[in-house]
Amino acid sequence: MSNAAFTRIGSANTYDNALRNLSSRQSALVNLQENLTSGKRVVRASDDPTGAAQAERAQTRLERVKSDQRALESQRNSITAAEGTLGDVTSALQNFRELIVSAGNAAFSPAERRTVALQLSGLRDQIFAMSNRTDSNGQPLFSALGSALTPFVGPNAPPQDYNFKGLPGQAAATDVSIPFSLDGDAAFMNPVGQDSVYNVTLANNNSAIPINRTLQTTNVAVKLPPNPQPNGSSYEIKITGVDTSSTPGTTKVSYDITETPNGGGPATTISVLPPASYPTITTGDKAGTGSFAVTGMLGLDMTISGTPIVNDTVKVDNSPSLFSVLDDAIRDIGGAGNINAAAQAVSQALNNIDKGMERVSAVRGRAGDLLNRADTITSNQEKRSVQLEADRSRAEDLDMIRGIADFQNQQTGYSAALQSYAQVQKLSLFNFIS
Amino acid sequence: MGIMEIGTRALQANQVALQTAGNNIANVNTAGYSRQTAILETLPGQFTGGGYIGKGVAVQTIKRNYSEFLTRQSTMASATASADNTRSDKLKQLEGIFEGGPNGLGASISDMLNSFSDVASAPTDLTARTVTLTRIDETASRMRAASQRIDDLQIGVAQELTEKITAVNALAKSIGQVNDQIAKVQGQGQPPNDLLDRRDQLITQLNRYVQTTSIPADDGTVGVFIGGSQALVLGTSVAEIRLVKDEFGDLLKSKLAVVRNGSAVVMDENSLSGGEIPGLLRFQNEDLVEGRNLLGRLTMAISQSMNEQHHLGLDLDGNPGGDLFSAPTFDGNNVLIPKQYPSPAPPVKLNTGNMTLSLNISDPTKFAASDYEINFDATGLAGSIKRLADGKLTNFTVDAPTREFRFQDPASAVPSFTERSIDGIGVTAPPPPPLPLTIAGSGDRYLLKPFSTSASNITAQFSTPRALAVASPVVGIMGSANTGSLQQISVVARGPNPPNVPTIPFTPVTLNFLDPYTYTRSDDGSATIFTYTPGDAIEGTLPDLPPGTPLVYSNPLDQWSVKLQGQPKAGDTFTINALKNTSADPKLNSGGALAMANLRDKATFDGAAMTDGYAGLMSQIGIRTQSSSFAATVSSTIAANLERDRTAVSGVNLDEEAAKLIQFQQAYQASAKMIQIAQNIFDTLIQGLGR
Repeated sequence: MSNAAFTRIGSANTYDNALRNLSSRQSALVNLQENLTSGKRVVRASDDPTGAAQAERAQTRLERVKSDQRALESQRNSITAAEGTLGDVTSALQNFRELIVSAGNAAFSPAERRTVALQLSGLRDQIFAMSNRTDSNGQPLFSALGSALTPFVGPNAPPQDYNFKGLPGQAAATDVSIPFSLDGDAAFMNPVGQDSVYNVTLANNNSAIPINRTLQTTNVAVKLPPNPQPNGSSYEIKITGVDTSSTPGTTKVSYDITETPNGGGPATTISVLPPASYPTITTGDKAGTGSFAVTGMLGLDMTISGTPIVNDTVKVDNSPSLFSVLDDAIRDIGGAGNINAAAQAVSQALNNIDKGMERVSAVRGRAGDLLNRADTITSNQEKRSVQLEADRSRAEDLDMIRGIADFQNQQTGYSAALQSYAQVQKLSLFNFIS
Repeated sequence: MGIMEIGTRALQANQVALQTAGNNIANVNTAGYSRQTAILETLPGQFTGGGYIGKGVAVQTIKRNYSEFLTRQSTMASATASADNTRSDKLKQLEGIFEGGPNGLGASISDMLNSFSDVASAPTDLTARTVTLTRIDETASRMRAASQRIDDLQIGVAQELTEKITAVNALAKSIGQVNDQIAKVQGQGQPPNDLLDRRDQLITQLNRYVQTTSIPADDGTVGVFIGGSQALVLGTSVAEIRLVKDEFGDLLKSKLAVVRNGSAVVMDENSLSGGEIPGLLRFQNEDLVEGRNLLGRLTMAISQSMNEQHHLGLDLDGNPGGDLFSAPTFDGNNVLIPKQYPSPAPPVKLNTGNMTLSLNISDPTKFAASDYEINFDATGLAGSIKRLADGKLTNFTVDAPTREFRFQDPASAVPSFTERSIDGIGVTAPPPPPLPLTIAGSGDRYLLKPFSTSASNITAQFSTPRALAVASPVVGIMGSANTGSLQQISVVARGPNPPNVPTIPFTPVTLNFLDPYTYTRSDDGSATIFTYTPGDAIEGTLPDLPPGTPLVYSNPLDQWSVKLQGQPKAGDTFTINALKNTSADPKLNSGGALAMANLRDKATFDGAAMTDGYAGLMSQIGIRTQSSSFAATVSSTIAANLERDRTAVSGVNLDEEAAKLIQFQQAYQASAKMIQIAQNIFDTLIQGLGR
């Protein structure tokens, strides 16, 4: 009995078991159908906790990439606008330069030079406006590490006629972003030091040097380190004595230098001793002239040549910004009373504008780098997106072919179970008792 | 005469057998019915000279086909199966609360943090700010909704428990009554099969709710015990079970207690092993607690980190930021002490001291989703704290002047009470306003539940886009005359003293580079030369001396942190200044928004990034659900197999009964034939006599 007992089948229990098997098959079928219709292998976390977490993380990262890309587009727009603006600034500076060259024409009258100055002043306004441009979000294009809404303000009272109201410096690009703005300070401001820019004007008792006498200066050059570096002061050199007679063939010039410090403060005057002494040219059309180097300007080299006389003044003004250079050029060319003054103004302006264009070009080059960087980031991020999408899909999406195959298997199994159940239930001894 | 008698007896006996088979057929689908068999026996023969002449057949008894062993096994297995199934069903509901994908809480957290990147692109754009505020509100409401759904689940579980306990008590009472009836008919000599079936069925039903052990007594009654030792039914006397709170009176947990003679004995659900009630209790006391703690930790870590970062920013009006989310607070629901409920609640060992503890958040990145139990030692000023999730013990002392708990430094092998927090949670024992200090008694216990309420209370704190503080109060300035390729990666403010409050004066700090590799700091009077490593953070506090590479900064880090890259040249400078001291427009600064967006990558949840926290939570609940579902499948299969084995003995097989019907019908017909023959014999005899 005991061995046979386990082969006995309780009829009710058979029904129960068959029903339970049928319903478990049905629920498996329904689950597979849910997988097929949703296209997901992992419908809820318990289907595959690791896969669900992977898919969730991939989803988060995808959103992150999208958000980073949106920010990058905005950054790219700003930098593109800034780069374009610097291009506009460069071409405006070229025009400015050409006009200045034309103003050097010896045949021009002061009135004609004033006309040129008016044109120049229009260009200057354009350039100044461009430096304060903002991007579509209202952020200044040249705000460096942060700035006021209008980063460049001026002209103010000298010596610092233009200010950069902001924090100089360049923000770094990261793996996924580039900065929003370029360093306007580096583009438009002339820092004190190795890159200092100076404008030199000549006069005698506040009037231009007459055309029958020559007096010129070289451009102001900054001495290379380790010489002391300029401190941004402006200077006025006043000729106090010219002695051509005591030593024949040699001119001795004595002069005072008045230094006005960059940050304001009282001006100091010193007499440079001993007087500068140089041989006088005796022949040719330069007869009676000569040249001497001015000493006493910290870190600066400049040579005065021609025929200085007492009360000649040479003003060496620090130009803190590109706009100061433009303003000086407009003022000096427009106000040049004769060709001597005009020539001096033109030569100073050309030299200083070229220095300014170098700075603008350097920053424009940085913008180009950043835009390249943005392209690289975009392509990387796109690759990353594809990768992440693949990760997500691998983690939670259903392999359709396999899903359909499984579904077919289950379906076959279920229908076989139903049929066999129905048939087995038909079998009964009672069918044969009549 | 004998033949007539034998025929009649046979007729009767076979009728009984037919009746029994019929009864079996009738009860084929009756739950708990045990197949019955009529046991026949021969009557003792009559002794004659010719030996014993048989006197026919009689029904000895109606046997109930039944295996005590198989029935017990099947009952136990089905109890386990119902515990596993109940827990698995509930966990599936819990899992449904933490769904993934774009509608989940995780997506809203990630969207919220990503939206700060749009604000960083356009800090003056009120639309971007409004989007961020809406996302914050959305996240808070999803957190609250998840918490609300956990609460709903908890309420549902509590109601279900109450109903099931009522059912258990009713079943226990019925078992007592059936015991009584069985005892009364015990003396009749024949087993009361149907009553026995009924009792077994009641016990099986009882085991669906809670697993019991049955021990038969001599008088035919059965004692039913819960948890192996606590008598629920003893003969005819029935105890009552009820739900009681645990010893800390934790409203989110309950325990099963057996009340007998007015005294309650509490049983741990883990010792109850099977049945729906232990399944529900386990779900309520472990799974739901874990779900709540995980959600609470997520909420608290994110809201606290974002609030802390927002405090470091300046809004459009130049004011320091307020709270983005309601600040996490701790109250009496987070610190529990042992509590005695009125009789018949079990006795609880109460605290003897009067120390009241309060909690504070020290570091939201170190949170562990767990409750903690504090045990004071005999000094009342030291003891151990146990992390209940994994049972890890940490010793602590109460610092005398500050009344703050100091925990054992996990890195130290010797006692070294330097840690100010346990998993980022600080504990203090504040003295009440009138001194003396409160003290803890020896063996006093406290239950800390830091994360149990944070998700239910969280709200977005304000709705003015202008008040979103996304400007960094501290900025970097490079020297205009710099000639190197220095670039600023980031300048961020640090708590607790960021240079943004107007009343805190800030002295700018300038880094003066001596060459591409070294610099001095203007706030360092001794002009120490520090090493510059591109990409390494330079902190507002001075590095430890002597300077090494990389530089070491001791806690607490303060005021600001700067990262630079590129190669500086001698004479280059980098100055850190307060935004308010500079000419830059605070409205255009978006350093705070970037810092906020960078929280996405902050290692917060056991080292996982903040945006990955939810994925971890999901999979943690998912693993629980999956394993409980596996357990349910396995135990259901075992229960089904054992039930099949049981029914192999006790179940009715219709084919078998049909065969028996034929068998006994033939026997019955033969017996009738026997009577007919007897009658014929009589007739023959009488006719013969009559002639």
